[in-house]
This record gives sequence, C-alpha cells and structure tokens, in this order.
Amino acid sequence: MRRRGLPWRKIVVYVLAAFFALWIILPFYWIIATSFMTEADALSTPPDWIPTNPTLDNYLAFIDPSGAGALLGSRAAEAIPYALLNSAVVASMTAVLNLALGISAAYAFARMKFRGSQVLLMVYLATRMVPGVAIIIPFYLVMRSLNLLDTYGALVLSYTTFALPFTIWILKDYFRTIPSEIEDAARVDGCSWWRMMRSVFLPIAAPGLVAAAIFSFMTAWNEFMFALYLTSTANAQTIPVIAANFATDLNVSFTSMAAAGVVAVIPPLILVLIFQRLIVHGLASGAVR
Amino acid sequence: MSTATSQRPVSARRKSGSGMYGRLGEGPMAYLMNVPALVVILSLIAFPIGYSFWLSLQRYNLKQPGLRRFLGLSNYIELFGDAAFRNSITVSAAFALVVVSMTIVMAMTAALVLNESFFGRGFLRSLILLPWAMPGVVNGLMWRWIFDAKVGALNGALASLGFIDSYQAWLTSPVAAFFIACVAEVWNILPLAVIILLAGLSTIPNELYDAARVDRANIVQRFQHVTLPWMLHPLLVVLILMTMTSFRAFDVVYVLTGGGPGDATNVIALQTARTAFAFTDFGRGNAYAYIITLVTLLISVIYISFLYRRGKVDV
Amino acid sequence: MSPHLNRRRLLQLGALAAVPSVLAGCGSGAGRSGSGDTGAVKFQGWDFESQLVQQNVDRFVDKAGIKVDYTPITSAQYVQKVTAQFTGGTEPDALYVYDDSLAAWIGAEYLQPIDDMPDLDKVYDAIYPGNAETMTYDGKRYGLPYYTDSMALTYNVELLAKAGIKEPPKSLEEWEAQAKTLQDKGILEHPIGLSAQLSDTWWAWWWGLVFASGGTLFDDKMAPTMATTDPVSKDVYAWMQQAATKSKVIDPASTTLLPIPLDNAFMAGKYAYILAARYGSRKYNDPKASKVAGKVKMALPPSIDGATEGTVSNTRMYCLSKNTEKKDDAYKLIYYLGGFDENDDPYTARFWFEQQGLGFAFKDLANDAKIKEQLTKWADPAVYAHLAEVAKPRRVIAEPWYTEYEIETQKVIQQVLTGQSDPVAAVQKMADTAAALKKQYS
Repeated sequence: MRRRGLPWRKIVVYVLAAFFALWIILPFYWIIATSFMTEADALSTPPDWIPTNPTLDNYLAFIDPSGAGALLGSRAAEAIPYALLNSAVVASMTAVLNLALGISAAYAFARMKFRGSQVLLMVYLATRMVPGVAIIIPFYLVMRSLNLLDTYGALVLSYTTFALPFTIWILKDYFRTIPSEIEDAARVDGCSWWRMMRSVFLPIAAPGLVAAAIFSFMTAWNEFMFALYLTSTANAQTIPVIAANFATDLNVSFTSMAAAGVVAVIPPLILVLIFQRLIVHGLASGAVR
Repeated sequence: MSTATSQRPVSARRKSGSGMYGRLGEGPMAYLMNVPALVVILSLIAFPIGYSFWLSLQRYNLKQPGLRRFLGLSNYIELFGDAAFRNSITVSAAFALVVVSMTIVMAMTAALVLNESFFGRGFLRSLILLPWAMPGVVNGLMWRWIFDAKVGALNGALASLGFIDSYQAWLTSPVAAFFIACVAEVWNILPLAVIILLAGLSTIPNELYDAARVDRANIVQRFQHVTLPWMLHPLLVVLILMTMTSFRAFDVVYVLTGGGPGDATNVIALQTARTAFAFTDFGRGNAYAYIITLVTLLISVIYISFLYRRGKVDV
Repeated sequence: MSPHLNRRRLLQLGALAAVPSVLAGCGSGAGRSGSGDTGAVKFQGWDFESQLVQQNVDRFVDKAGIKVDYTPITSAQYVQKVTAQFTGGTEPDALYVYDDSLAAWIGAEYLQPIDDMPDLDKVYDAIYPGNAETMTYDGKRYGLPYYTDSMALTYNVELLAKAGIKEPPKSLEEWEAQAKTLQDKGILEHPIGLSAQLSDTWWAWWWGLVFASGGTLFDDKMAPTMATTDPVSKDVYAWMQQAATKSKVIDPASTTLLPIPLDNAFMAGKYAYILAARYGSRKYNDPKASKVAGKVKMALPPSIDGATEGTVSNTRMYCLSKNTEKKDDAYKLIYYLGGFDENDDPYTARFWFEQQGLGFAFKDLANDAKIKEQLTKWADPAVYAHLAEVAKPRRVIAEPWYTEYEIETQKVIQQVLTGQSDPVAAVQKMADTAAALKKQYS
C-alpha cells in the first residue's frame, strides 16, 4: 500500500551498516593478515592482501622466543605471555574493586536524597579532570611509599581511581531504572538491606554492573603511561607497555608486532562480545521501560 | 538471618523513621555509603593533585635543583609567550574539535543504524565494539603500518585501484598527518560513544514515535522533536567523555607521529609529557597539565550548565 | 617455555587463583623477588641486546662473587624512567648513561664522580682523549666507557656500480648528483634514506653532516652561531631541502622513519646511501641479517666543499648513582664492564666489538690482531680508523638545555625536509631557540 518506489530507509540502513562494518574490519583485517605473514611477504609491494605463505611463526615466537621461527633476541616477544597475564589480572581486579567501591556510592546517589549530592558527584568527576601526566610523578612517590612499585597493586589502585567516577555514574543511572517497589517488597518481607542487595537488587542490576565492570576493565587494559612508569619487569608490565616496546625494540619486525597487537585485542574482545547485550542494556539509563 | 544482620551497623530491620537506612537518617547514611569510594580516590589522588599543582607554581627543573624557588603564577603567565605552548594548545583544540565532531556524528549515525532492525544487526553491534578492545599504543602502531610510505596497505590499495601513480608518504604532510591522527583517535574511541548513544536510543518509548507519526511528523521532524531531546543526556555524557579523552590524547599520537612533522601533531599532552619527563622541567610541565585540567573542566561545566538550563539533566 | 615460566611466575599464577586476597598481599609483592635488599648490586641499562648483557654480567658475578640484579629498560623510555626512579628514590646502584644526559644528571644530583676509586687512571690513560673528555664534567670524572662510535656515510657498492659509480661522494653536490644518476637509471626512486621521525634521542646523522663540513653551531661560550658566523647549517639545510623536495633523492618518507625501519630498508636494498654509526655495518654485512651483506662500505660523510673532513662521535658510559650504598661493589661491576677484567684486559669492550661491532674506547684494541681480523670481515680498517680520527663530540651536550635544543632542532629539520620552512628561517629558529633556552636556564 505504502510501497512507493524503493525502500529507501532499508537501503540507507544497509549502506551505512556496510560502511561501519568496513570501517572496523579493514584496518583490523590488515593487522590480522600481517600477523600470519612472513617478514618478506609483509614487506612486499604491492601488499599481499591474503598471506601467500601463511605462517604461525609470529605467534609461536611468544611461546618459544628461542625457537626456529623466532627472531633473534626479541625480548618483547618473550614478554608477551607474561604481559597478557598481567593485563588480565590487573584489569579483572580493577573491575572487581571498582564494583566493590562503586555499588554503595551509586546506591546512595540513586536512592537517597541528601544535601550536596550533586557537589559530591562533581567532586568524583573533577578528580578525572587532571591529566595523567600531571599526577604520575607524585603518584609514583605514593606507590613507592606503599612499596607497591612494579606490582599489580600499583596499577589496580591507579586504574580504580581512573574508572571509579564513571563507574559510579553508570551504576547510579542504572540503579534509578530499577523500581523502588522491589526494595519495598523486600522490606515487607523483613529482609535486611544487605540481604536485599545481595539476593534481589544486585541480580536485577546485573546489566549495569556488567557495563560498569567492562568499562573499568577496558580502562585498565588500555592504559599506557601509568603502566610504563609504575612497572619495570615482567612482574607487572602490561600489554600496552610491551606493545610500545615492539615499536622500539631493536630487533623486532612488524609481523610480530602485528601478532602482538592481535593477542592484545582478543581477550577484551571476547569479553565485549559475550556481554555486548548486557553492556548496551546496562548503559540504558534515565527511564523505565 | 538476624545473626548476620546484627553485625552490621546498617540494617533495615526497622520500618520506622527513615526506613531501610537504619537510625542514621538518609543524609549521613548516604555519605557513609560514599566513604569507601571517597577514601580510595582521595587518599590516592588528593596528594598527587595538590603536589603537582604546588610544583606548577615553582621554578623547578630537576637539572637545576639549586635554582628551585616559588614563582606564583609566573609559569602560567609565561606559557602564553611560549611559542611551543601556543602551538600545542592550538593543535590540541583543533584535534579535539575534529575528533569530537567526527565521533559525535559517526556515533549518532551508527547508533541510529544499529537501532534499526536489519540482517546482521547483532553481528555489527558486536563488531563495532572491537576498537574499544585495542590499546591506544597498538592502535597507533596499526595506523602507522597502514599509512606506511613503503609497504602501507593504503598505498597498495590506492595504487592498485589506480588512484595514485606512486606511493605517497602520507605522514610527511602536516595536514595529512593531523587528519590521520584524528582518524586513528576516532577509530579508537568511537565504540564507547556508540554504545552510550545506543543505550540512550533503546530507552525512547515507542509510543512517542507513534504519537509523532499520528501528527504526521516526517523522519527529520521525528528525529528533531523526539529523538534529540530524549538523547540530550547520553549526548552530554559522550561529549564530556570524548572531549576529555581527545583533549588529552597521548598514546595514539605518540606512537603514530611523535608530534611531527615539525609541530603539526604536537598535541598538548605530548608537549606536557616531553616538558616534564624529557626536559625534566616539572614546574612548567605541571603548569601545562593544569591548563589541560582547566580547559577540560571549563568545557564540562559549559556542557553541563547548558543542559541544566534546558532542564534535561539531573545528576 | 618452561625455563621462562619460573617459580616466580607460578607463584603469581597461584596468586591469581586467590584474587580477593591478592590486593592485600601486593604490598609484599605477589611473587616479587625482593627488590628490597638482597645485597645485590642493582644495575640497569637500555635494552640493547639484553641477553648478551646478562651473559656478561653473569660472567662478572661468577668471577667477583658479587651479586648483580640487572634490569633492561626500553631504550625509547630510558631517560624518562630513570628520571622517575631517581625522583622516587628507587634508582639503581649503577647504570648506563648517554653522553647526552650526563650533564643533566650530574646537575640533578643523580650521579657521583669516581675520581677517588681505584685504578681509574689506568682506564682513562688507555682510552681516546675524546672519550675521556666526554666523561669528565667540571674537572671530575664520572664514567667508564661502554662504547663509542662515529657516523659514517654507509653505501651499497652494488647499487652504485649498477649506475656506473665507483667512488662514494666527497661533496654534498656530488652526493646529490650520484643519487640523481641512480634515480634516472631507474635503480631506486629515492636513493638516500634518513631517520628523521621525531624521537627523544639525538639525530646523529644531522650532527655528522654539520661536523663533516666543519660546522660548529656554537661559539666557545655556547652562544648560537648557526645563524650568524657559522653558515654550515644553513648550507646543509639548503642542500637537504633541494635533495628532499626538488630532486627527491632523499626519501620524503624519511620524516616517518625511525632508525630500525631505516636499517631494515637499507638491508633490503631499498636505499643506496644512509648515514649510520660505524658498528651498523657489521649487521649490514651479516648474511644472516641482511640481503645486501658483503656489499656495504663506509666513507666519510660528504661535506659542502668536498675537502673538509669530519664527523660526530658519541660515548655511552657506565656511571654510579650518587646515593648508592654499595659503591665499592657497584664500582667493581662498572670497572669490569667499562674497564678491565682480572687479566687487565678490556674484556667487555672486546666482547661488544666481537658480538655487535660496537666501537671501543681503548686505544690498544685498534692494534689488536684478533680485532683487526674481525673488523676486516665487515669494514675497511683504514676508513674505520680514519672516521675515528676526524670525529668530534658535541660540546653543547654539557649545557643543561641540550635536550630541549635537540628536540626543537629536530622539528626544524623536519620542516626543512618537508618544505615548511626555508633554510634561513630554519637556522634563525634554531638560534632563537638556543638563545631563549640559555636565558631560561640561567
């Protein structure tokens, strides 16, 4: 009935969807393809769009740096497995700590009326206005006095301060979308606040919690400058630090750099893919459907 | 369960008074609930913030510890006569402007597209989050590799499609290098913007659109009168986040161009890091950093107050 | 993997299983092998061939019975991380120092003189005066030499021969003409490669070109002369701009090239000429690393008039930090590394030359039969020695503002290479920068 001419809306949607898909895929594809190439193929012109002699050597070098396919003396490659572990631990611990600290604060903002609540929220945000370069040296001093240099602790604590303001913001918005009748019902049952939170409220708030946790996880996973200064050995160096080494290490090739890039992306990518729905839902704030 | 609850100072056993929050009353209780977060943030950040600000008021270069002295605001005043500073603040402002506007437009478009139903939507929704998982350093390396003058994929693609005759050294042109840095930054930060906006879109009640349709509003009018007002809050969050991120962009640019060619991509975060760590001039370096702070603070306040006036924000 | 997955890592993995308790435990350091006090000398350097360093340090530990805790740090961030460590009081006992950083780190009270340490004269008498001078500041001696080297015009004989060129260029003009021939014959589009991506380290090639033509840049009081009485920089800029933007014999991509990619491209036969440290030729002529092995030779960097000779040299060194509590042990370590071993042999200098071709500061090694034999495999000993004779260190590195000056100069050079700035404006900017910095630091 309303079929006048072409379904423009559909066409526009598909064209744009294709554009965004290519925008993401093309650069990333090139990194993946490079990571499976031999050095010679990677440097060929015109580029080898599909690796002609696909090889796993660049990845194997991470596991066995002295192996046959590995490059001579690439310390950065050797550090990759440790860096992955370090990044995973630091990012997970940051996420957990952020939730632990953020939940009660966010609950207060979401459910209680109190004087200065807006100012307090701004105080949280304001701590994020000072750029990292300004505070890194004094932060280094703090971490030294806590004897935390080159440990997970230093990184987890710094990333927690980075991510906490937004964690609180995200959680607060999400908590507001949960009808307060839920708490009322629990109260009628004579349930304690803690028990109500644990068994009723937080499960309902799961999407918000996931969104906030992923947000802090990513903040920690991607951070470079603090990781660079606060760590010095495989004890705690994270993926971005090692990736930066790849740019300067005196013996590394681009193919192994690409492989490092791919492994740096995969773990958080898996998380994001698993939780994609929950993240979007968790950020959906401001109104009750 | 009374044994478990009785250990806690906070319990909701009483139904009287302020209800669930125990005897304390809502106000003090709310602050109490903020204590853990505040303690952690303030104990870790307050000293660094205060100390670095204190340093910004001094002549303090590590190379000349003997000449350290209090200067007041001189470092700040001198900055405006400093060509490197003026240049880097201009570059950063332009960078932030381009990055934020590109991000907002692209993220809004992407969010609107992803809010439609079409084949492959679930796939694209996941795919678009991919760059979020890429550390800035890796992202910078990736774009370097793509724009490489010798073996770059872009040169290869353009040459085989016949757009260029010979390979171009893209990053050697100041203008090109600037925009490449912008694109690399946008690529990296777009996902977060998209999901925040997408989340916002998903909360718009369908009835509003239905009502608008009944009023025979066309698609532009519907966007203008339904979508946009509803989206002000998420847009605000995106604006603040993206402005902050792009104004202090560091790792992508550091890896991609190192600030060059010449001064073309010498963003303020790079200049700050260089002043503080390479030149060990902590006084000036921190003054730079507090200019960044001031600017981001100012921009955030402008955004927020603008939206306050429109009554769209409750924080 | 098993040798790398040591016990320490397993402890850390164990800690991972107990996430909630880890944070509380990190004060003591989950799996951290007490960097507190184990009695070991803490030693640190940038990460050039860190396995070889470790190997050599282990040899010292075996012989001297002194424990050493060696940490390599990424070279690109070395200076910044050392600064952070000294600021935080977590500095090592002994460390590598760039000649570029020496004055700044002495000024910052990071380092201590070693004049009163045993047998220092023995080393200083055995090394070239230029190296000794570079490691001396304000009449006090601070370092023991790690390596020294000078910049050479490094060229690919085979590519030149293809264009019918037999001798490397002596003057800049000749250089451009030769490169043009290569270009015209379709052998290479851009025969000359330079590493001109902004970085926090010096651009040795630029200094080499200026010194080759007798440029001084500064007078004795370190007042800038490059825009007034010393025309060399301007003329070199004019040549560079011509060669980069008109004839395009200098690769326009140079401003995006870091040293390693440049080396790789040269070793893949993509450049006919580069300016490189002498030791680079060992790798360029190594069939395992390079496709152009056996075809790479060195010459003096070309000069403006084709007759002046000169180049730049540098000295990397080992120093002691000011507050080390293990001064004697740490000195023994750096004496072993930068001086002599128990047989009074400069073992480490020899080791580096043999392993990586790094230039040595010890005069006697130049006549050492074994070294000579090694050297002939990858360089012409006569040219190699001649480069050392005409090389000069940069005197301006003793100024506290040197780092700023170097970085601003690099930006100017990029602007010259990309045609954003003309040579006269460029040297004026350098002079203004130097004058402003001098004032700022006074």
